[in-house]
Amino acid sequence: MRNQWIHLYSGYVTVKVSGKGLERFINALTRSDILIWNVKRHGTAAVTFQISLEDIHNLRHEARNSDCKIEFLARTGLPFLMKRLLKNSGFLIGGGTFLVIVFLLSNMIWGIEIKGADPATEYEIRKQLDEIGVKKGKLQFLVDDPESIQRKITNGVSSITWIGVEVQGTTYHLQVVEKNEPEKPEQFGPQNLLATKKAVIVDMFVEEGQPVVSVNDHVKPGQLLVSGQIGKEGEEKSVSAKGEIFGETWYKSQVVLPLKSNFKVFNGNEEEKHFIKVGDMSIPIWGFGKVSYPDFEKEKNEKQFKFLKWKLPIHYVHDTYRESEDITRVYTKEEAIDVAKEMARKDIKNLLPEDATIKGENVLHHRIQNGKVYLSMHFQVIENIAKAYPIIQGESE
Amino acid sequence: MAKKWGQQIKSWMTKQMELPQDVMMDLPRITMVGQLHIYIENHRGLIAFSDKELRLLLKQGQLLVKGKAFVIKTILPEEILLEGKIEQVIYLNDDK
Repeated sequence: MRNQWIHLYSGYVTVKVSGKGLERFINALTRSDILIWNVKRHGTAAVTFQISLEDIHNLRHEARNSDCKIEFLARTGLPFLMKRLLKNSGFLIGGGTFLVIVFLLSNMIWGIEIKGADPATEYEIRKQLDEIGVKKGKLQFLVDDPESIQRKITNGVSSITWIGVEVQGTTYHLQVVEKNEPEKPEQFGPQNLLATKKAVIVDMFVEEGQPVVSVNDHVKPGQLLVSGQIGKEGEEKSVSAKGEIFGETWYKSQVVLPLKSNFKVFNGNEEEKHFIKVGDMSIPIWGFGKVSYPDFEKEKNEKQFKFLKWKLPIHYVHDTYRESEDITRVYTKEEAIDVAKEMARKDIKNLLPEDATIKGENVLHHRIQNGKVYLSMHFQVIENIAKAYPIIQGESE
Repeated sequence: MAKKWGQQIKSWMTKQMELPQDVMMDLPRITMVGQLHIYIENHRGLIAFSDKELRLLLKQGQLLVKGKAFVIKTILPEEILLEGKIEQVIYLNDDK
């Protein structure tokens, strides 16, 4: 027929017919509506033609009524291909399984390397990772992305300041900066203690050295507090002055706080959507329909599938829609001042070292202008003002 | 005699009514594309086929096609498409 390719789907057979009365046989076939094509003569007593698979049964039937012998030469088309494929299905299944396994293994976590942490911290980090679900043998697209791992570990492990999480292939590299860096060996060379700030000395605790100032003295920055030169005149020797000098220092903090402010807050409702993205096309897997919130924030979480060292153009996309609400906060004047005071206190605490205490505070002035509270506050703080400076040999007489 | 009468009436009718003759009179309709193809409709079966010769039964007489490298591309009860190099197409009338 004209569109012979259609026979490729249904399958066809090349038949060789030999014997007497071949023409009669062909006539018989055509008369019983059996379609044959590519009829070729081979010598005097043989003819080959092709016949569709469906007509084979009828062909046999016709052959029985004639003197001809039929013989099948070749089988072509999809049904035979399938049969062969089925016969060799072991290879097919093996190949498929291999691809799936390589795909899964390429997306697994194979190692977690922690650098820059001492064994105790490392143990703690590993415990934390286990809790989050980052373990050897887990699939990468089921665990959190590096940024949130980073955040969670930083929050969960108190002894580290910062952690960098990086995925390289199948390994997570964690770079840790610990809070308690090993202390530098203390200097025991000759040193003086000098004031770092303008202050009034409140308390002194000198371990070694000659105090030069006394309590209630007013000192300026750079002024000598405890001298490392001790001994009688003429027989002076240099020691390492040590001690803590507590001085009262003063800080001023200025805070501006609007009375009315708008916020965007999440009210806890959220919707999730999952997609598989192939190239630019997103195929939804879970979470259909439009987001029902009038106001929302969208968080997109995309993970790329890998195959061996290649990154596939297939992504797993996980969208989270959080409903947000606008909230207007209005303070009364009294409230605003209280809040501003609290803010000022926090401000100061951030500036101060840990051993400092706030002794007293005064509001210098506050005014309300253009819907804002302007507040300036004065703090009296007790802190260690001493700092060690080495005595350089040539300087001392 | 009766058959002849019938034929004559048919022939006369087609002439008068201007009907296509191949339909009315069961004549073969032959289409050729150069020497490559020959397409014959209204045949009555195969008599002989080899790679140099094809002999077809018609309602009246036979059709003989001679050439080289013949292959029957399609064969249906009343149609046949032959491929090869066609050299001669001959009508054989047995009733002289």
